[in-house]
Amino acid sequence: MTSTHTNSHTEAAKMEQVITEFFYKSLLIILESRSSYVSSRNYSGEQTVSSPSSSSSSSSSVRPRDKWFNLALRECPSALENLDLCRRSNFEPVVVDVILEQKPLDWGPASFSPTSDLVRNLSSKNKNSYFWNSDQQDESGSEMKCEKIIERWFVQHESRKGRDCNSGNRRSSCNNLSALYKKLILMLRSLYVTVRLLPAYNIFRDLNSSGLICSFKLVPRVSSFVEPLTRKEEVDMQRFWFTPVDTSCGRLCLSVLYHSSISDMSSESSTPMSPQFIPDYVGSPLADPLRRFPSLPVSHGSPSSLPFSRRHSWSYDHYKASPPLVSFSPSPTHSESNALVSNPSSLGLPPMSLPPHPPETSLAHKRNTNFDEYCPSPNFSASPSPSPSPSLPIYIPRTHLSKALLRSESAPVNIAAPKLANTPALSGKQNLPPCPPLKITRAGTSRTDNIRVPAETDATIEKIFSFGKEDCWKYSGVKAFSNSSPRISCSRSSSRSLQDDFDYSEFPCPFDVEDGEMMDPGSRPKSYVRIGNPSDPNEAGLFMNRKSQDAAVGALVRLLKNSPPLRQNVSLNFSEASRPEILSNSIPKQSQILEAVTVEYAAAPNIASFRLVASKTTTDALEELRGYKVMKNLLLSEGGKAYTSNVASAAEHSSTSKGT
Amino acid sequence: MNCEVCQLKELEVEHFEIREVLRCILHTIVFHRALGLVRPKDVDLELFEITYVQCGDVELEKKIDEKIDHFISWVEKHPNKKSQICLSFYEVKSKQPSWFTNKTERLYWEQWYVNLNVTQHPKHHSSKSHHTKLIVDPGESATEERSCRRAMVEASLREVLFQIIKFVNEKKDHVPPISEGVIYFPYEITIPSSSDSAFGMDMIKRMLHSGHPTMLS
Repeated sequence: MTSTHTNSHTEAAKMEQVITEFFYKSLLIILESRSSYVSSRNYSGEQTVSSPSSSSSSSSSVRPRDKWFNLALRECPSALENLDLCRRSNFEPVVVDVILEQKPLDWGPASFSPTSDLVRNLSSKNKNSYFWNSDQQDESGSEMKCEKIIERWFVQHESRKGRDCNSGNRRSSCNNLSALYKKLILMLRSLYVTVRLLPAYNIFRDLNSSGLICSFKLVPRVSSFVEPLTRKEEVDMQRFWFTPVDTSCGRLCLSVLYHSSISDMSSESSTPMSPQFIPDYVGSPLADPLRRFPSLPVSHGSPSSLPFSRRHSWSYDHYKASPPLVSFSPSPTHSESNALVSNPSSLGLPPMSLPPHPPETSLAHKRNTNFDEYCPSPNFSASPSPSPSPSLPIYIPRTHLSKALLRSESAPVNIAAPKLANTPALSGKQNLPPCPPLKITRAGTSRTDNIRVPAETDATIEKIFSFGKEDCWKYSGVKAFSNSSPRISCSRSSSRSLQDDFDYSEFPCPFDVEDGEMMDPGSRPKSYVRIGNPSDPNEAGLFMNRKSQDAAVGALVRLLKNSPPLRQNVSLNFSEASRPEILSNSIPKQSQILEAVTVEYAAAPNIASFRLVASKTTTDALEELRGYKVMKNLLLSEGGKAYTSNVASAAEHSSTSKGT
Repeated sequence: MNCEVCQLKELEVEHFEIREVLRCILHTIVFHRALGLVRPKDVDLELFEITYVQCGDVELEKKIDEKIDHFISWVEKHPNKKSQICLSFYEVKSKQPSWFTNKTERLYWEQWYVNLNVTQHPKHHSSKSHHTKLIVDPGESATEERSCRRAMVEASLREVLFQIIKFVNEKKDHVPPISEGVIYFPYEITIPSSSDSAFGMDMIKRMLHSGHPTMLS
């Protein structure tokens, strides 16, 4: 009798322990998939570990508690805190409310606590009460927040009344225990899969993986007593029952009430998002993200009320903030509607927003410094354009900015000029090299307007350029800021005439190629047409504009057509100068020949414009032709001599070898 | 012991979706039948907003992927056909050897039939249109149709997963006891063969192994 009594006690104790551990395990499964920062998803390193029992090396990583129900999970502090609930002898039901909280607009990163959001409230009667831990109180002082229960889990053991739980022989109870254990394993497997299929898991996954500071967060709340949901709330929710498992004195029940569809919260915002000016909009990956552009109305529709920078459309990095998320205003009708995030990837993004962060975006925050991959062509520089229209990204040569063409046929755009390399304000973050000066000379006068960007901050330079009758540009100003590159705003105006001077002597050529080639005239490409040498590289004044190659060529041709002809002495001097150079070499190289016919105006500071070879007279052309003929004959004679000598030496060698 | 059979809802998928869909379904089923000590591994589908669970066994993953590859090869040879993959769990019992049977016997206690209808959707007619005057991009409607179709497939897949969960919850008694050191029950994945006669041979083989006709619901 005593042994039977002891055995039954043992069996009852075991049963109790199994039920307690079931409570804990189910709580762990729910909380670790709903509570941020404590999920096993964060510990991806351990995710790749194969089954703990398959290898001896990983067996040490399995804690004793993991072996319960053969399901090894990451320890969840939230679940541990609520273990007492599970250990109660009478097995009171445990209710887990998963609440989606929306923070107010003025919530900043400082107030976001990375600690566990689980709050234990055994006596909570009002689910709409402000529910904050002392360490999670909003530092901004604002307590206004919206919360909505999107899931409610019930874990309970229903006792069977009117039956002695401890009755039964040992064998049957043992069988019962093993059968019960097997069934509980199956139930927990289903629970583990189910929590990942419900809509709230997508929210959790995206909130957890993106690392963005969002205005939403999931807050699981564990309690024993909760107020039932209102009918209105329950109408929108669906219930899923797990088949109860019979125990020796009752049955274990598990169920969930959940919102089947969580719609986009952006549609619930009471204030429509109006176009807002983005002060720190960056139009190019090459530009400084903190650069400030002159005010330009940008109907972009993506508000940025947060102090942190907005992420770019070309990269998903570096910026933790998700500005569009904070554009919502807490709406009193929010809880009544279906508006919650349905697609977590579109959390708070306005319709015309930048592409969202991919969920797996690694927030390694690597700056996209490899701007060269954005460069469509090294020949052209581009300016940042705030418009969302597709355009070429900015290519700013890192070493030398002698090749900027400042012409554009599009609408007035902000043109970013790089800062000086020796500017103390320039830090390592600056990717922009120093730019050479731009000289503008009026016809008939020797006035030269240097456009430079001074090293000092807050310097303003105003220069006027005109490129032709059709496209007259007025650069209204260049402003340099302490921590950013100077900018030149450009607007179209027709006030300038065609005759406005433009000194190309020191103006970089749009057809200039790479910096290296620029620095080495000997290796200049054949198609190179240099307008003028850049003078002192320390002088700033570079205008960059973005345009296509074709447009630049067209504009240049137009300019050339409208510019005054070259002076005779220059062309003559040029052709005369080139010939001795050619004749002095016995076997001139092809590149040198081509250089001779290339138009160069390096030594003519007062040339008002430049033009191509077309302006030469017929006489000059004939003279050149004669020069070519001479060169040709020379080459042929030299080549013939070399050939003859080679043949002779070969014959001699062969005769010598035959003789021996 | 009865053999419980579950016919899963038919899914209409495209060729490129087969792998993900099958991985999701097969691993979900096996996870429910991997009653040994496991450390579950969450896998996010790339084509759908669904996360499924694997039991973390590398060998199992490899075998399932092999079977999926075979199935995809079969589908390529038999396009636009409805197909069925059978995932069976069995127990190995020793028996008296006879002329037609082996020493060991497979007692199938559960069978899952995954029904797929692999379709090749024709390209949108407007995408081949050369009318450049159209302001509305015909590709937009194709994109919308594609996303709508994708959402439907995702919803169907979710239904199938819930169907698996419900089945597992409702029927627990037929599951054999857990053996020590065994992670998952022995299983078998049967894909359609290249010929019908071979498929019939597979059925006969299964009958010989099981010792009783397969019960089909």
